[in-house]
Amino acid sequence: MLFSSITFLYLFLPLTIIFYFFVPQKGKNLVLLVMSLLFYAWGEPVYVLLMLAQIVISYVLLWFVDRFRERRAAGIFYILSVLLPFAALFYFKYFHFFMDTIFGIRTKTIALPIGISFYTFQIVSYCVDVYCGRVKRQKNLVTYAAYVTLFPQLVAGPIVRYSEIEQTLTKGIDFSKFHKSFGQGLVRFVVGLGKKVLIANVIGEFVAEVAALSQRNLTLSWAYAIAVSLQIYFDFSGYSDMAIGLGGIFGFSFPENFRYPFISQSVTEFWRRWHITLGAWFRDYVYIPMGGNRVCMPRWILNIFVVWLFTGLWHGAGWNFIVWGLLFAVLLVMEKGVGRLFGNRKNSGSAMDSKSVLKKDLAKALIGIVKHGYVIFIILISFLIFHNDSLSNAVADIQALFAQGSHIAHNLGSVEHAVYAYVMRNRMIILCVGLLGSTPLPLWIWTKLQERLQTVRIGNKIIYVLTSAMVLCVMVLCTAYLIDGSFNPFLYFRF
Amino acid sequence: MKESKWKQYITIYGFVFCLVSVMVIMIISPKKAISSAERRRLAEKPKLTVKNLMDKSFMDDTEKYLLDHFPFRDGLRRIKASFAYDILQQKENNDIYVVDGHASKLEYPLNEASVKRLSDKMKGLRQQYFPEQTVWYAIVPDKNYFLAQQNGFPSMDYKRIIDLLSQALSADDVPDAAFQYMDIMSELSIDDYYYTDTHWRQERILGVACHVADALGVVGLLSFSTDSQETFTENKIKNFYGVYYGQAALPMEPDTMVYLTSEVTDAARVWSLEENMQSGKKTTTVMLPDEQGAVWKMVYQTEKLEDGKSLDKYDIFVGGASSLQVIRSPKASSQKRLILFRDSYTSSLAPLLLEAYREIVLIDLRYIDSTRIGTYVDFAEADILFLYNTSIVNHSEMLK
Repeated sequence: MLFSSITFLYLFLPLTIIFYFFVPQKGKNLVLLVMSLLFYAWGEPVYVLLMLAQIVISYVLLWFVDRFRERRAAGIFYILSVLLPFAALFYFKYFHFFMDTIFGIRTKTIALPIGISFYTFQIVSYCVDVYCGRVKRQKNLVTYAAYVTLFPQLVAGPIVRYSEIEQTLTKGIDFSKFHKSFGQGLVRFVVGLGKKVLIANVIGEFVAEVAALSQRNLTLSWAYAIAVSLQIYFDFSGYSDMAIGLGGIFGFSFPENFRYPFISQSVTEFWRRWHITLGAWFRDYVYIPMGGNRVCMPRWILNIFVVWLFTGLWHGAGWNFIVWGLLFAVLLVMEKGVGRLFGNRKNSGSAMDSKSVLKKDLAKALIGIVKHGYVIFIILISFLIFHNDSLSNAVADIQALFAQGSHIAHNLGSVEHAVYAYVMRNRMIILCVGLLGSTPLPLWIWTKLQERLQTVRIGNKIIYVLTSAMVLCVMVLCTAYLIDGSFNPFLYFRF
Repeated sequence: MKESKWKQYITIYGFVFCLVSVMVIMIISPKKAISSAERRRLAEKPKLTVKNLMDKSFMDDTEKYLLDHFPFRDGLRRIKASFAYDILQQKENNDIYVVDGHASKLEYPLNEASVKRLSDKMKGLRQQYFPEQTVWYAIVPDKNYFLAQQNGFPSMDYKRIIDLLSQALSADDVPDAAFQYMDIMSELSIDDYYYTDTHWRQERILGVACHVADALGVVGLLSFSTDSQETFTENKIKNFYGVYYGQAALPMEPDTMVYLTSEVTDAARVWSLEENMQSGKKTTTVMLPDEQGAVWKMVYQTEKLEDGKSLDKYDIFVGGASSLQVIRSPKASSQKRLILFRDSYTSSLAPLLLEAYREIVLIDLRYIDSTRIGTYVDFAEADILFLYNTSIVNHSEMLK
């Protein structure tokens, strides 16, 4: 079930809220579990059994781990608890790709269960944390199943660790904080819905329009690359906002998944701001266990490449995802190398006069612009690779940015001119909205406005009315868009 | 602190109240079968079976059903259209743009493969059914032909369409003069089309009718000319909201539909394949035009205006979409026959030619396979005309 669907917004959500808040504390996890299973089964009526089987198997294996703790058998059960979810993930997501592409053996395509990558990672992180003693094993199967299936984050993240929501799952909602959390969750959910329906979907229409043209000019090629990045960002961050917001509505606190990634000045920073929970998962469960950066240089480089190969593969079984992941590995290693090179010279200067300080500030600002330009360029290229189904298409899209390749029209007639100009003009405002919306500017303006309003007597009331009006307007607009349109895909459902 | 608590309560209960209210209204509100604004049948409540549950069609159909029957649907669609136009400054909504009160649907780029497919289809039909006859063809321009370029909207290259067709239809594999092009585009202007609909106005295409008749050599049999329409009585249908009105969801003034009647059109009758089909348990039988008991109807089927009979008022012209129709005109001035391969535009043109032709056969290849038409149609000694709108030319995959 999509968050941005009428079935979810006006049937599933009100019913779940009513059931959840009307049952006593003891039954809340059961309500969450049942509703989450219904939510998943609405999109995967068959594979819901696979998810349930994985939950029960991991639960039983961890019971054995606990039972045989301090003995060798515990290790075996632990390895099984980690391997089995990965085996299922491998079979459904990668088996066909490996057999077909790498070994040249023709196999049937296997339908990918929605969200399998997300819930596999959650199960595995839980198993590792229990085995390592970072969290206590959840003895109640319903509570454990509610953690894995929790519908706000089940199919597209953020990847929530058990420790992050254990408190609410085991001790229930903290009603002293709940009312505030509900209100904040509601606003966050509606903001996410707006990002998805009013921005990502509309930009997605532009992307589809340009892709439908057999050729394009240079301006349109760049606009297309920007639009692809914006669509992916608003689609995924919108979903994360909705998930975090729903978490708040039901009394949970989910981790942040995006922090304005497009303002980054390095690829390293970009990955601290983009899909934060996935990056943290790979850091904690792959990179650090492999030794992280506390190893010799060649081993460190190997660690980076392994992590980014997996990150690429996590997003999909395809060469474009592998190339996408490895591209970031190369860039991260290079950035580290450049950082070491220039980092040593950092403190070499002595006391400076004011002129020198000004020069230094100017140089710093210029370097900042160059760094930012570099990151934006890399993001555009990387998302063209990410967005395309095949590497050859991605290459053609990238070539078009340099007025080369099969996607570029060279001898333009008046009809083509009219088409290209129209397509750009038609979506200019939404592209500008997307560009501004991907920066902290809107939040900064809202914060400043709040600060100003709080200085007057009825300021808080005005803020409350403005927030409520915004929520209402966005809900009505999103509903209107859903009713009138059919363009409503969720890009991250395929992962 | 107390005030803050109250605000939180209002937020929570207000939000839940809104969601639950919409849910209840959605469930209990009376359901319509047809959307008059969008001129389409609305989705029916899906039946729950194990099969459609497993293949997810139940879920998809439920979403469609809820979308179609959502409370205040038409109002919400208008809000979306206004937001797209006024705030996002989009030039179109659902591919419909409005210029000078005229709504038009974007149609671009030109699909050259589609033009080729159409010409191949025309050649194939000629080869199969009327190899010795001269075949005429004409293209009806869509409204973009008049509106798009000068208002900054993209459109097809119309000249290229004609060039491609004439090249293909005069190629080496086609006998000389087998296909003759009839230019009716120059006879038309944007004022000849409805504001809210894709179609041309019957009262404004007398010139086109004369031009067609002239090319086919029967113009002398018509009692009207381009400028005069005394032959006909104008009948008006007010509040005609065309197909683009519903799709655009923007406030637009309705059109007035005019249909032209005369002694000739009053006397003429229409036989259509669909109306004369009788489905049995295993076989389907057809009452052919000359058989006793065949159903014949009026040329202008005003009964279609009654509620629920038709989604489109344009259907009053020879009954609307049909795979195969025969119009017999007992008061025609000749015994000539015309066979028209057509789309919906021809429905309003054909009645104007009934003075000249005793029988006009309308074949819509979107609804009947071209291999089947020989069963029902005698092509011998008939005038043959292909008359297609540019949208069909650009989507000829629709032709069977």
